Amino acid sequence: MSTATQQNPLAEGLHDYRVADPSIMVIFGATGDLSSKKLLPALYNLAKQRLLPPGFAVVGAAIDDLSDEAFRKRASDAITEHSRTQPIDSTVLQAFLQASFYVKVDFSKLEDFKGLQRKLDELDRARHTAGNRVYYCATPPPTYETIIEQLKAASLTAGDGYHRIVVEKPFGSDAKSALELNRILQRVFHEDSIFRIDHYLGKETVQNIMAFRFANSIFEPVWNANLIDSVQITAAEEIGVELRGGYYDKAGALRDIVQNHALQLLALLAMEPPVSFDANAVRDEKVKVLRAVRPIEDGEVAHATVRGQYAKGWVLGEKVVGYREEKNVAPGSLTETFAALRLFVDNWRWAGVPFYIRVGKRMPKRATEIRIQFKRPPHLTFGREAAQALEPNAITLRIQPEEGISLKFGAKVPSAGVKLRSVTMDFEYATSFLVETPEAYERLLLDCMIGDPTLFIRADVVEASWKLIDPIEAAWRDGRPQLQMYDSGTWGPAAAAKLLEADGREWHRP
Amino acid sequence: MAPALSVTTDPELDWHGESVTIAEVLGALNRSRRQFAQVEAGDEEHPHPRNCVMTLVTVVPDANEEKRAIKTVTDISRHHPCLAIVVRDQPQIRAGRIDSTVSAHPMQGPLDTPASCELVTLHVHGAAGSHLAALVDPLLVSGVPTYLWWPSTPPFGTGELTDALRICDALVVDSARFDRPYHSFLGLAELAERSHRKLGLADLQWERLLPWREAAAQFFAPSERRGLIQSISEIGIDYSGEGRGNRIAAALMVSWFSTALGWKLEHAAGGGGGVVAALFKADGWRPVQVAFRSMQRGQLAQGEISALRIMGTAGGKSFSLSVQRDPQRMRPPRAGEFQRLHPTGGEDEAAMEIAQRRAARHREVVSQNLESLHHTSTGEAPGESMPQQPTVMVRERRRADTSDVMLTMIDLGDGDTLRHVQRVPPLDESTMLLNVLSAGARDLVYTRSLAAAAELMQKL
Repeated sequence: MSTATQQNPLAEGLHDYRVADPSIMVIFGATGDLSSKKLLPALYNLAKQRLLPPGFAVVGAAIDDLSDEAFRKRASDAITEHSRTQPIDSTVLQAFLQASFYVKVDFSKLEDFKGLQRKLDELDRARHTAGNRVYYCATPPPTYETIIEQLKAASLTAGDGYHRIVVEKPFGSDAKSALELNRILQRVFHEDSIFRIDHYLGKETVQNIMAFRFANSIFEPVWNANLIDSVQITAAEEIGVELRGGYYDKAGALRDIVQNHALQLLALLAMEPPVSFDANAVRDEKVKVLRAVRPIEDGEVAHATVRGQYAKGWVLGEKVVGYREEKNVAPGSLTETFAALRLFVDNWRWAGVPFYIRVGKRMPKRATEIRIQFKRPPHLTFGREAAQALEPNAITLRIQPEEGISLKFGAKVPSAGVKLRSVTMDFEYATSFLVETPEAYERLLLDCMIGDPTLFIRADVVEASWKLIDPIEAAWRDGRPQLQMYDSGTWGPAAAAKLLEADGREWHRP
Repeated sequence: MAPALSVTTDPELDWHGESVTIAEVLGALNRSRRQFAQVEAGDEEHPHPRNCVMTLVTVVPDANEEKRAIKTVTDISRHHPCLAIVVRDQPQIRAGRIDSTVSAHPMQGPLDTPASCELVTLHVHGAAGSHLAALVDPLLVSGVPTYLWWPSTPPFGTGELTDALRICDALVVDSARFDRPYHSFLGLAELAERSHRKLGLADLQWERLLPWREAAAQFFAPSERRGLIQSISEIGIDYSGEGRGNRIAAALMVSWFSTALGWKLEHAAGGGGGVVAALFKADGWRPVQVAFRSMQRGQLAQGEISALRIMGTAGGKSFSLSVQRDPQRMRPPRAGEFQRLHPTGGEDEAAMEIAQRRAARHREVVSQNLESLHHTSTGEAPGESMPQQPTVMVRERRRADTSDVMLTMIDLGDGDTLRHVQRVPPLDESTMLLNVLSAGARDLVYTRSLAAAAELMQKL
């Protein structure tokens, strides 16, 4: 085997050091919000951590007529305002800006893409980037097809080096459009070079679900239908739609959160152990479990789902308006801001265990967590009276905020008699590590440059999740079940509580 | 509601006692823990659990070092809630007794989650300090690792150190702060060789080399450059200060290359002016020349590396990687003859060239006399060329105004020289100690580099 194909022997023992080959990242829509608020600050922070290789360059590409200097000024302002690390390190910033360039690109003009190609070739020679390119579409999904076709037409996807493309969620609005998007992407790029980014998967605590399950031997033996009674996944936000009214009114909670974040959490929680942390091994297991989720059939949607919309109310001590009074929201909108579902995973491990999903806006507080509730002991050794205050065992994985894990178990109350009560054993990441967790985009951008797609969503995972959402969307369009209003600052409509009460259970209060 | 808690670096003592027993110290520590749990929980139902990720035992010789150690462990506990035990060993005071203080104070994390930092100081007079295990063992927190940090020079080869190592999972030292650096470094290498496999060993000097190692690894990271590793013909390292004690970092750096790339040391010799030449064989036949040279850099502490160069030729093209620390602080370029003679371009190259010419002369002499070179030929011990600054390591290593920038220049034989500026990571004691503790103070790459560096040092 030649040295070139071997591991870099000098990288051994450099623990947190992940090295990307020198490349050029082209950001389409570089003058937009995503670029300013997330991408450029994330790249600056990677530079600050010495994780950008010598030669790396950023090329902003957008319709605005800007010089390199003008783009650098914008980038500098954006980084200064939005970087998670403050104060700004002027040496690092200046070095980063010197490696930032701008090309005006009207997506409809092939000539502009050819101009882009000339600029990239020039940078390749000067910066030894070997033709490696990452094309980041920080643009609305309808532009993806045009950009991809123009990249191909301008021969920007051919030649030496790697050519990767990054697209942001949503990946379609239903199974059909997702398939079409995949077809467009795969027509030009190999699936291994397509990075569908859902920043949620870049969060440390989401990745920790796998560490919790597969780096410990004590949990997997109880992680099945024999001992687990039910699972609750909650993703609650206290905020409303804010400035996203126009987008949100078309999407709703089911498409915006359930189809991606919530089902990804379900997949991480319920999947079988992958043979390794290799990208395809992990994603194979995720897609398998999503395919094992029983789709809610048309006749079941009214009983197994709840949809709600927030009305005015009080959140965190402040009076807030109802959804229909929000900016860019239709006055008579029937879009859901709350969704609750009951799902089942039809496989050996999870047969009969309900997975309850609840997502919503304008809830009392921001909380994302997974609660695994265990069955009660088969026999009450201490008698019913002693165990009155005893709740079933439960493990709660808190994703945000206050990331951590709690285990609820029974203990004897100190007294002469026998009385039992539930107590909680708490683990908090913040008090065990107390280190600043990296921004999800930093991790994901670096993964993309390195070529590690583990935390990105593969085409079949997107398609599998839409197949679960489509029947629900169809029934909801028909008004089954009816949209329920709930006061802002509450945990959703009464029907959500009834969904669990019907099964003899209740929602856990985060 | 729990009372508001804030960061404090000057905790109020919960307890202090003179001429006490360890049992009394343990009693005070337990009382302090109960008090913290109740105060922190306030009116809530359950006292909040006390988080503790390690016991950090620090042995210091005097009051100044104790103050410094307390500051560092307090910084550490902001990141890792822990029990810190600082032992001030004063064997010279004959009357044996122990004075102690105990404090447990809340530290605020990034999410406003309080954690407890417990600090125990033990002032040990008389012979008890030689039996650290007996002193500290009863206080250790069960189920979490125990790290022994010896900020000055551990007594290598003594029963005292052997006894201390019985109770710890890893020993952390700073070979840049050893009092007799050369001999102590060899003692450290011997300890690493003889100690049991489970004992972790970390060296803050190794942590200072991290940015250099990263820069070198980064250069060879692209797959198309991986093959260049097999074409390295020369490595040059500039270090600050003179004398063999100041070459430890450079020796570790070269040994990292040699052990990672399978090079075998053939010859090594030290000459005047702090120059060292060594010859390695790669793949059994290919020579790799290594040269150290002493370059005074006011902003760097003695012994620190100021530049690294890697050169070679592959496929008829030469390549080079040059990494320089704080390049703008180098001597200003001298116009004229040297630049004309060596037109390499770049604003910092002139000074480099002057130094290179001087070093090349030394290296040539050393190489020509490699076999016959003996320390008597210079009238000095190998490499001991009467250091101008006899203090090998100052306690405060860095000047406060240093800019901490690293300039990487890459030349691949075609196109322009690529320049890349990076910020050197913080190299203060707290940050480095935190980094090695976060990694569990175990690094096999370090231990193998340590062994090879000791071999190299002994040949000089």
